[in-house]
Amino acid sequence: MVRYWDLRHVAGETTTIDIDNGVIESASTSFFDRAVIRVLGPSGWGVVSVDNYRALDLDRFIAEALALAGLTGEPVELADAPHRVLPVPVPSDDPRQYELEEKTRLLAGIEAAARGESVRNTRAVYSERYETVRFASSEGVEYAYELGRSGFNVMAVAEGDGVVQMGYERRHAVNGFPLRTGVPCGEKARETAVALLGAKAAKGGRMRVVLDPELAGVFAHEAVGHAAEGDLVREGNSVLAGRIGERIGVAGLTIVDDPSLPGFGFDPVDAEGVATVRTEVVRDGVINALLHTRETLAAVGNGLAGHARGMPGEVPLVRMSNTFVENGDSSLDECLAECRDGILLIGSRGGQVDPGRGVFQFNAEYGYLVEGGEPGGMVRDVSLSGEILGTLHEIALIADDRRMHQGYCGKGGQSVPVGDGAPHLLLENAVVGGSGRD
Amino acid sequence: MDEIDAILRAASGRAEEAEVFFSTSESIGAELSRDRVRIGQAGHAMGLGIRVFAQGRVGASSTNDPGRWEACLDAALAAMRLADPQPWEGLPMPVALPGTPLALDPSLSPAPATVAGLLASMQEGAASHPEAVVTAGSAGLSRSHVVVANTHGLRYEETETHASCSIEAIAGTSTGYEFASSHALDLDPRWVGEQAAFFAAFGAGGEPLPSGTHDLVLSPLALASLFEAVLLPALVGRNVHAGRSRLAGRIGERVADARLSLFDDPHRPMGPGATWFDAEGVPTRRLDLIRDGVLEGFAYDLRTAYRYGAASTGSAVRGGYGGAPSIGFHTLVLEGPVSEVMAKPAVYVRSIVGAHTANPISGDFSVEVSNPCMVEGGAFVAPVRTAMWGGNVFDLLDAIEGVSAETRVVGEMVLPALRVSGQHLVG
Repeated sequence: MVRYWDLRHVAGETTTIDIDNGVIESASTSFFDRAVIRVLGPSGWGVVSVDNYRALDLDRFIAEALALAGLTGEPVELADAPHRVLPVPVPSDDPRQYELEEKTRLLAGIEAAARGESVRNTRAVYSERYETVRFASSEGVEYAYELGRSGFNVMAVAEGDGVVQMGYERRHAVNGFPLRTGVPCGEKARETAVALLGAKAAKGGRMRVVLDPELAGVFAHEAVGHAAEGDLVREGNSVLAGRIGERIGVAGLTIVDDPSLPGFGFDPVDAEGVATVRTEVVRDGVINALLHTRETLAAVGNGLAGHARGMPGEVPLVRMSNTFVENGDSSLDECLAECRDGILLIGSRGGQVDPGRGVFQFNAEYGYLVEGGEPGGMVRDVSLSGEILGTLHEIALIADDRRMHQGYCGKGGQSVPVGDGAPHLLLENAVVGGSGRD
Repeated sequence: MDEIDAILRAASGRAEEAEVFFSTSESIGAELSRDRVRIGQAGHAMGLGIRVFAQGRVGASSTNDPGRWEACLDAALAAMRLADPQPWEGLPMPVALPGTPLALDPSLSPAPATVAGLLASMQEGAASHPEAVVTAGSAGLSRSHVVVANTHGLRYEETETHASCSIEAIAGTSTGYEFASSHALDLDPRWVGEQAAFFAAFGAGGEPLPSGTHDLVLSPLALASLFEAVLLPALVGRNVHAGRSRLAGRIGERVADARLSLFDDPHRPMGPGATWFDAEGVPTRRLDLIRDGVLEGFAYDLRTAYRYGAASTGSAVRGGYGGAPSIGFHTLVLEGPVSEVMAKPAVYVRSIVGAHTANPISGDFSVEVSNPCMVEGGAFVAPVRTAMWGGNVFDLLDAIEGVSAETRVVGEMVLPALRVSGQHLVG
């Protein structure tokens, strides 16, 4: 017995350009076509993922998925949730109006800007993906939309006195074309790599730290966002389970996930046809709501559906989209003055969390020692770790200068585009790791 | 696939050489949510990759709709015209390869009942530590087929099978994870379940570790995550010649403890990446990277080899049908001085949170260690609270006290546990 089915079919084109040390290694376009068919049988899900989907085969795939659902014993229910498709932002600068040759020329300009004295390697990569998403379900929900993302990254590797360091910058956008204005990123990558040659390895220990907006955004994503994902909560694999209404952090701290914003994590509608909405995970320091799919909302409650996302052909999971800390009323200067002696951490090389243990780790691109409230010498290879349930109480100041950054987040073998952001934050008693010694 | 010859014929009039990579895969899987099966899955995957070459220029494109191969070929030719010319001496000619399958278990078919059995056995194993509960788990079976063909008449085909299972457990806020992966249906799912539940149950309620210098025993999982982030990229020829490897220019020098060797062994039967030919049809061979502590060589595909006057080491790999092949490893084996690594007191590092944030060039890292515990006399003695570990992957290779006799497969690597001294932890 089929209680419910849906189909999500995604087809499109990807373009990748790779320039390495001045050589155009590749500049190519490829095509993809993938679909996932989900069926809710008497108890749980049966799912078929298929390449090169043809609508004629839908009934056959539904039957196959129903047979697979026979393996399951978990009674799955779906919560009701509103359906809505937001308009896709109209690009001010559409990447598709530029020829591949022009994109290659623009990327070469960014890569060239990363070259300079002490720089021994530069590399820049452009990626662009346009996809058409078609959805249909047994509830009669049908939609189709087209969405594009494009962006680039640029890296400079500098060497001096046997030390090798790198600078890395990236810009991505939904329905925009950051490539056209990317030259300053190449320059920034070069400057960072060269400056890091003179930086010291950070010394680990407990101290006050100031996080820049990019790293503070990753902090919100790793320290809070993942643990608020309804599937992890349902499995009993999150320290936030059963803590709705509990104070987790300081008054004034609000952490949001909002896929309806036109940031890099934008979705006009989620992967099961549900309206995307703003979810305040933490409101004024209190755990307020969890991120859900229809299934996890029915199983766990306390939150909103609309957070289902999946790569083409893959089962949608509860995922973050645009995740950020709302502005406070402080400033960077106040954060530094209050920090007195500590480290100002800049940029992100990524992070990871074990939401069950409630432990997270992430790495800054570099930092500056703060001495007497002033940023001083540069440090490299510095990381921050902590425990979800304690860390947010240690936020002492929240500035009012929020910025968003773009990245990709991996979970369950799937990588999705996300935006993370925050204002500058001052954190007390942070566990800083580094390879430096006295 | 019938289209392969048609593609090569169409391409040969428009480029000097062409290559087709075609893969298909059938898979079955299922996932646990807590104590029940929540989802049963099947996958029908296919993909076609085309590369074309002329005057040192290469272009590539891919699609998973073989019916659109003409558009795909056009895109590859357009890409070829844009690429900068580089030294290129041609795709490989066909040679006779042994026909014996290296990664195939003929008895393994993607059957739903087998997957359900793997999940049930993992649950039984986990039940041996009732303090821990299962949070999630999965099992999967697949059978895949690849064809590599080119305009020199080369056409190699390979079928391989794969089985895997994994499970997560929790006791309080202590988590445990275990997995197994093989080309044959020779997994021990009971052991997988038992291990995950053991680490969850045993890790609960540890005392903080004093900050300072410690001996560590790195599990194969922990070691693999650091190697993947730093050491493997540093051994890739393209990174070496592009100035992105700290090992560049050091062939013949000692880069590790003199008792340590690292080599790629693609012909090891049932090795994780076992194959007779690489992703561009070059016959594979054993590749010594570090022998007795001395750096012996780097991994090359055709393109990097031609460019820098080296020979392909048969190290081209593909993550899928898309894009161009890249340089990688098939079955990377680490060998060292075998000893009882858990005899003397040490901090056992089961896994690492944040290894991908290591600096891939300098090798410096600062990570969180997961499921750490004190070991002594060959046994797990007591759990300790999580700690930060700062160090350098290249320096680790020289701080080795010994490796375990037992090895396991993690990704494309076959690794022992490794004991290292003088490591700095912040508790």
